[in-house]
Amino acid sequence: MADRLERLTTLVANLLDTRTPLTLEQIVQNVPGYPEEKASYRRQFERDKDTLRGIGVPISVETVGNETMYRIRPDEYYLPALDLTPEEQAAIHVAVTAVRLPGVGTDTALWKIGGQEGEAVPALASLPTTPALAELFDAYRKRATVTFTHRGAKRRLDPYGLVFRRGHWYVVGRDHDREDPRAFRADRIDGEITVGNAGAFTVPEGLDPATLVRDDPMRFGSEDASVEARILVDAEQAAFVVEELGEAAVETRHADGSVVVTTTVTNRAAFRSFVLGLLDRAEVLGPPDLRAETVAWLDRISGDAA
Amino acid sequence: MSPRPQIGPRLERVLALVPWIAEHPGSPLDELAVRFDVTPDELERDLELLPFCGLPPYSPDRLIDVEIVEGRVWIRFAEYFARPLRLTADEGLGLLAAGEALLAVPGSDQAGSLATALDKLAAAIGTERGVSVQVGGGTFLDELRGAADRRERVEIDYYSFGRDVTSTREIDPESVFHAFGQWYVDAYCHDAAARRMFRVDRVRGVRPTGEHFDPPAPSDAEDGESGEDSEAGSVFHPRADDARVTLRLGPDAGWVAESYPTESVTDRADGGWDVVLVVSERAFLERILLRLGPEAEVTAPPEWTSVGAEAARRVRARYG
Repeated sequence: MADRLERLTTLVANLLDTRTPLTLEQIVQNVPGYPEEKASYRRQFERDKDTLRGIGVPISVETVGNETMYRIRPDEYYLPALDLTPEEQAAIHVAVTAVRLPGVGTDTALWKIGGQEGEAVPALASLPTTPALAELFDAYRKRATVTFTHRGAKRRLDPYGLVFRRGHWYVVGRDHDREDPRAFRADRIDGEITVGNAGAFTVPEGLDPATLVRDDPMRFGSEDASVEARILVDAEQAAFVVEELGEAAVETRHADGSVVVTTTVTNRAAFRSFVLGLLDRAEVLGPPDLRAETVAWLDRISGDAA
Repeated sequence: MSPRPQIGPRLERVLALVPWIAEHPGSPLDELAVRFDVTPDELERDLELLPFCGLPPYSPDRLIDVEIVEGRVWIRFAEYFARPLRLTADEGLGLLAAGEALLAVPGSDQAGSLATALDKLAAAIGTERGVSVQVGGGTFLDELRGAADRRERVEIDYYSFGRDVTSTREIDPESVFHAFGQWYVDAYCHDAAARRMFRVDRVRGVRPTGEHFDPPAPSDAEDGESGEDSEAGSVFHPRADDARVTLRLGPDAGWVAESYPTESVTDRADGGWDVVLVVSERAFLERILLRLGPEAEVTAPPEWTSVGAEAARRVRARYG
């Protein structure tokens, strides 16, 4: 009996080379190594088909009359020409050895683009991954609308890309129900993702997906009325806060190293978390109601509320 | 029947090898083994099966022809394998994300081979660089990476988040890496006389010392103790003398149990939790309590029950 790897290789060759789709009987006749009995060869072929699909071989099933027929369409199978220079191949090799993405298949990907060129490098970074990621990426590259549950709410999204920031992956795109560009943390998607038909939308020209993930937690995911907060931050924490909020947030730099920063707040709970994380190194200067709210919160914790 | 769990990957390798060799006639076997990350024996086994593969009627001109002469390989009659199999979503994402991440590291050449390679890959995958990776860096990343590469001892000003103080230390930066969304320096700290993990974004100053250090022997690197950071996931190892504080959490504060090192988590009938938290520094607990407010209360041990109220009064004092 022929080796299974031989049979699978020959099966791929036959399905790729054929101009017209093949019936199961034709396949079994053409490809050596299938059992003679119908129930057995059908079962064996189903197993082979699953193995091939498992590695991404696109087997198309066509029904002609009442016959089920199979083929691999070359345009769906062949990797388009990449024309990578040896330097570019080496750069990709360096990247996949420097940056680790647990559970994502970079070894097999490297084979397909021509194997390892040049030297590997020690690991420099590790990005966490989440099972939903490849599916979201696939939907994005096909321009297919996805439906999922995110923190208990059902969402319909045209994915415009994936963004990794601050240790988390986000899928960004147009939210059908809110008619608004939105970002969703991929690891907070619960359960299955439903992927619609390919070519359902176009991504806006020149869009940088990163701009759809709002940096500032104080403006993320809340409906509170927007206010401009002013915070005085002591020297000890000034560098950290300026890095968090950006140089543009700096209103005044004092000689003692402290800074006054301003930032737009639309999520008061997130703002409180941020400011109180600085402990007694920071003070909310205004507006008055935000300052009063912070004081009231502190008094509640200490039990000193009037 | 012998189990063959590796059939998938092996088939993928064969389907990638054939087009490569066909396009590069006479490739040396040893170079191919390195390129496809296999042993020469495995490679020869892959090549030996190919002459049994092909198209009907399996006459010599319809079977894949493999010729190995003096350590070099030629493949003919495999036109249907002229190109490798397309990248799966998983593989495409893997290449683009790794490439974008490396390109995002401060100091990378934005117009170099990696950038042009990513453009070509994204075009072939149909994604127009729609994967954006930001790894940050902080003011001193470059300097610390340089010192680690040169193996130069440096003096740093380091802000300890847990203790809320900045101190100056002499460290031997052994490696700099990105994990959990943060950059870390794994270093021997001369002030602590132990290995420590430092977060790069908490480094407030770096000064060279001009002194060279030798990397530790591999055995030393195994038993590193690190405890500087309380929320750095697996970087954090609780110490035996850290306090164990019992927190009563409200129903909305469940994330605390997921985000911080805990010893035990018990569900309560009212939808909240009792959590035993490992606390190495008082400021760490103060932050949690000030953020959670009424959603959290320390119930034990007695000397920790007033931490929240005291911290709230100290911050409140700023407001007059």
